[in-house]
Amino acid sequence: MNNDVRELRAAHGLSQGELALEMKVSRQTINAVETGRYTPSLPLAIALARFFQRPVEEVFHAPQVD
Amino acid sequence: MHLKSISCRVFTTRWFMPLFAIFLGVALGGAQWIGGDRQTGLTTMALFVAIAALLVLGGRSETIRALRGDGRDERWAHIDLAATALSGIVVITAIIVACGWEWAHGRDGSPFVQLGAIAGLAYIAGLVILRVRS
Repeated sequence: MNNDVRELRAAHGLSQGELALEMKVSRQTINAVETGRYTPSLPLAIALARFFQRPVEEVFHAPQVD
Repeated sequence: MHLKSISCRVFTTRWFMPLFAIFLGVALGGAQWIGGDRQTGLTTMALFVAIAALLVLGGRSETIRALRGDGRDERWAHIDLAATALSGIVVITAIIVACGWEWAHGRDGSPFVQLGAIAGLAYIAGLVILRVRS
C-alpha cells in the first residue's frame, strides 16, 4: 500500500524520530511505513491521518479492487 | 486494571526479560546441579546471566530493545508473531522428523510422539479459542 507519510512529514518539518514520538512507535516503524515495508494497523493509520489533518484515504492509497 | 494492560506493561519494561533469563538460568542450571552435573549447571547459569547482561547492556540496538521489551510497538508485535510461528514450524518439523527416525529404528517414538500430540492439540485449542474471541 502506497502512502504520503514521508511527504506530509517533510511538509510539517518533522524528522522520523519526532513523528515516531508523536505516534508512540519507533523511528524504524515510521521508516518502514514510509517505505511501504510495513502496513500500519488501522489505529495507527487513523492516528497518522488525524495528525496530518487529512482523511485516511488521502494519506494511504489502497489498490483499487474491482 | 485490565489484565491485558498489566501484561503489556510487564512485557514492555526493560527489566522483565533480563530477570526472566536469570530465573531460567537458575531454574535449569539448578536442575542440572541437583541432578549431579554441577559443571554443566554452572555453565547453564553463566550462559543465561550472559544473555541477561547482553539484554541490559545492549544499548539502543532495535533488535536488542525489542527482545528486551522496551522497544516494542505494533510492528514488533507483528514481527514477534511471525518469528514465533516460524520457530513453531521449525520445532514441529523437527518433532515429525524425529518421530519418523524413532519409528524407523523400531522404537515407540517417545518422547517425540507426546510432544507432537501436545503441539497439535495446542494448535487446535488455539484456533478454537481465538475464533470464539475474534
